[in-house]
Amino acid sequence: MSDAPAIATHDLRRTFKDVDAVRGVNLSIAPGEVFGFLGPNGAGKTTTVRMLCTLLPPTGGTATVAGLDVVRDAAQVRRSIGVALQEIGLDPVQSGRELLELQCGLYGIPAARARTRAQELLELVGLADVGERRTKTYSGGMKRRLDLASALVHEPQVLFLDEPTTGLDPASRRTVWDEVRRINEAGTTVFLTTQYLEEADQLCDRLAIIDAGTIVADGTPEELKARMGHDVVALTFDDPGNGTVTAAERAVAGLEGLERTVTERDGTALYVRDGAAAITEIVRLLDAAGLRAKTINLARPSLDDVFLQATGRRLEGAEKETAA
Amino acid sequence: MTEIALLARRSVREILRYPEATIPGLFIPLFFLAVNVGQVAKTFPSTTPFLHGQGYVAFQLPVSLMFAVATAASGLALVTEIDIGYFDKLLAAPIRRSSIIFGRLAADFVRGLVGSTFVLLAGFAFGAHIEAGPLGAVLLVFLAACFGVGYAGFGVLVALRTRNVQATNTSFLLFFPLLFLSPNFVPFDRLSPVMEALARANPVSYVIDGLRSLVIEGWEWDKLAYCTLVIVGLIAILTTLSLRAIEQYDR
Ligand SMILES: Nc1ncnc2c1ncn2[C@@H]1O[C@H](COP(=O)(O)OP(=O)(O)O)[C@@H](O)[C@H]1O
Ligand SMILES: [Mg+2]
Repeated sequence: MSDAPAIATHDLRRTFKDVDAVRGVNLSIAPGEVFGFLGPNGAGKTTTVRMLCTLLPPTGGTATVAGLDVVRDAAQVRRSIGVALQEIGLDPVQSGRELLELQCGLYGIPAARARTRAQELLELVGLADVGERRTKTYSGGMKRRLDLASALVHEPQVLFLDEPTTGLDPASRRTVWDEVRRINEAGTTVFLTTQYLEEADQLCDRLAIIDAGTIVADGTPEELKARMGHDVVALTFDDPGNGTVTAAERAVAGLEGLERTVTERDGTALYVRDGAAAITEIVRLLDAAGLRAKTINLARPSLDDVFLQATGRRLEGAEKETAA
Repeated sequence: MTEIALLARRSVREILRYPEATIPGLFIPLFFLAVNVGQVAKTFPSTTPFLHGQGYVAFQLPVSLMFAVATAASGLALVTEIDIGYFDKLLAAPIRRSSIIFGRLAADFVRGLVGSTFVLLAGFAFGAHIEAGPLGAVLLVFLAACFGVGYAGFGVLVALRTRNVQATNTSFLLFFPLLFLSPNFVPFDRLSPVMEALARANPVSYVIDGLRSLVIEGWEWDKLAYCTLVIVGLIAILTTLSLRAIEQYDR
């Protein structure tokens, strides 16, 4: 049982009337992992999470969570999992404490234990002094943390977090990350979706990139980055249209140690074995072709590069995020 | 069972914390009572045979009670919960989905008891008395609250099927034609033949008739039986449909 995957899907699919939201997802997540599901808006992250949480029946394929089939054994799956959905579903009428106590009750925790558990959780997420306030008075970050706490009342084996830090300020984001790490250290498997590269990079043991309903890359962050190449030399041009980029790529095609080339909107990214050594040669080759780069940037490949390679696009807002 | 109690307690809490969702609903029945004392009583003095010696207020008291308990508040609370996403949290918890419905309806029962007691007391203040005695008064409040539960089931059903706040909000409008195609103002036999036929086909008529019999006639077992039958039927049908709706929700 313990080596059985915490989450496994086989050709998991979900079609809404005319939208193929999830188109054959295969996953195998080991117990104790923090697994990241990285993808842009509309990629199918939430739909996948809802299927794994038994909130939405798949229209194809199978999935097990904690060894239990999400359709056949839905009731037992619900006992084993904690869920914090993308839309923070807090009851505005109740106080934070009441909400947690009710949540305990719904998971079969007796009233006396529910009271101490609610207190523990309020302290854990730093809301002990606002526990008596109704949740509608909470800030976004406080709501997120309470929602997270409410997913933990029964110490679930598997925790699902759908974009747990979207819309949070950097400080709150870090609090949530710390929380996730702590929960994970206590033995809980975490399945987390995100649009943030940094989050996937920092927090996740392994991740899958999902785009338009299919997984386009997966592995540990290091593997994914290493797969791209050793170094990346990013070139941009003043006048990227009119075949400049194509011409530049043609000019450097024979470069020694060139591992791959990925075309971007305003330039091209060259993945090379030794970036520092390659730069002079690249400039020389461009010069020979009568081309002149606007900027030349040497870096290690990031998940952003992985995403670009896998989908042909950059993750929206990624640049802003890395700049921040 | 405990999950139902927990969810019911939460819904009661919601009623208490949002009095603005309940209190306005009590103005209509009070207004009804007041109007009947002031104006209509002149048209129907207490010597009118069908009033059995009481004032017209007593005759109209059951209608006021029904207004007091017929609220879409439960459906509205549910559809809001769906909107906010708390409903998903409940669905993801290891509880029976039916508990969510039963929890709500239990709270509606409590709301109905309080609302109809309030209107009954107002009726007393306006000079009505209960011919069937104290036990009759208790039964009156109980039956009215049960009618409220059946009625709430309708709002819950609309909420689950439409997931739309507007639709749920307007669902209570359905109640008005049913209430007015009935022996609401005068007994069956004083209605025009067409109206009488319609009223006799309208199940709500028998609820009014049954509740009214307790107020002005005493213990009329056949009228009470019809009244109970309609209320039980209403609850059974709407609860069944709501349970089916929640079982099929996103399935
Ligand atoms: N209930 C639904 N009905 C119709 N289409 C839906 C529904 N839920 C999601 N979709 C569509 O499925 C796709 C994937 O959505 P979603 O899983 O929410 O993506 P993500 O969470 O990655 O942003 C989107 O195109 C979205 O519009
Ligand atoms: Mg989403």
